[in-house]
Amino acid sequence: MAVQGRRRGALEREVLACLAAAGRPLTVTEVQAELGNGLAYTTVMTALSRLHAKGALNREPAGRAYAYTPAADPETLGASVTARRMTRLLESGEDRAGVLARFVADLTPEDERLLADLLADARRGEGA
Amino acid sequence: MTIALCLPVLAGVLLFVGARPLADRLPPATAVVLLTAAMLVTALATGFVLSVLALFVLGQVPLVARLGHWSAAVIGHDLPVPAAVGILAGTVACVLLAAALRRATLSGRDLVLAAVACRRLGPSAAGLVVVDDDLPDAYALPGLGGRVVVSTAMLRALPAAERRVLLAHEQAHLAHRHHIYVQLAGLAAAADPLLRPAERAVRSAVERWADEVAAAEVGDRELAARALARAGLARAGARRAGAPAAAALAATDVGVAARARALLAGPPPRRRVLAGALGALVLAVSAATLVTAVDTQHRFEAAEHAYHAAR
Repeated sequence: MAVQGRRRGALEREVLACLAAAGRPLTVTEVQAELGNGLAYTTVMTALSRLHAKGALNREPAGRAYAYTPAADPETLGASVTARRMTRLLESGEDRAGVLARFVADLTPEDERLLADLLADARRGEGA
Repeated sequence: MTIALCLPVLAGVLLFVGARPLADRLPPATAVVLLTAAMLVTALATGFVLSVLALFVLGQVPLVARLGHWSAAVIGHDLPVPAAVGILAGTVACVLLAAALRRATLSGRDLVLAAVACRRLGPSAAGLVVVDDDLPDAYALPGLGGRVVVSTAMLRALPAAERRVLLAHEQAHLAHRHHIYVQLAGLAAAADPLLRPAERAVRSAVERWADEVAAAEVGDRELAARALARAGLARAGARRAGAPAAAALAATDVGVAARARALLAGPPPRRRVLAGALGALVLAVSAATLVTAVDTQHRFEAAEHAYHAAR
């Protein structure tokens, strides 16, 4: 259901994010379990293969399958450094046009309390 | 003609007072599009009216009238405003134009910088760049298709379902070209300081718009709200633990908690009447500007006729 609504690019971003968060090689089955949400094994495998073909992932044999990690080649590291430097530049100084759109800004103490309550409520809801 | 001259400034005052309440009530996408349109039209019309007022005074200067082949007396006959107001208007128009040009330069520079950054990042897979960093952070970098940049700390702070919310939110900024609206709103606010609260409202509404797109994509508003809460708290926690402070991005009216609350409150109602009213304001200001333009042209034509008749 959710799978059909999910475009290929979106799924590839999720897979990449999942591997970057894991910090260790993951097999197709592990990525599938981690992402959840009723994704088919073949769908996850296709996304991993495509990312591998693009050079975004390394893979190593793990038993009868492959285990994948984000490619940490010099080019990727360079991208990381570039991203950080450009962001600093785009955020520094008074005279910025504000072209970056951040997911969450820094919180006020009041916001922090409200959000902590929200998460606590959610946990209680799951526990009940 | 006096009403037509006043309407752009009146619209500025209306937006000064009403932008925030409008942005709170309208669906975010509607709010962004209509407010940005209203701001641009208002800023342009205000600049135009100020220039016209200055032109009336300038047109009465004997040397200018001789050069322009028109009658200074006819230009000055029965004007809606005294000369002093015209001089003031001209000065204000020059200052505001300079501010708008400066702002346009800043926007252009930063948009080019962002595009250069995207280019240097190369063909990153699916437009996602993961940065190894201890501060939970995620943002969209516009330009050349754009990139979503997320730090490893942010990825680790969220479970997979909430990461999906984050990625969908940032991708929505890029897909709907939110940076264009934000920059245009900034430009309008530079050209008409009455529009500064509206600029902040547009910035906030853009975040709410991306939240709504993300919530729709995962099909779960509570999940989207939890993702916001967890990401915000993770960032605050890292800050307390001494993560280096990045410069704050431009402030918005609506904090993370308010965004989460809006998600939990259910899908925003469409508010056709309110949207229609804002649309009507855009049309009214446009019409008033047209009236001013036509009236001004008539006045100068009459003055030219009088000049030639007198010779």
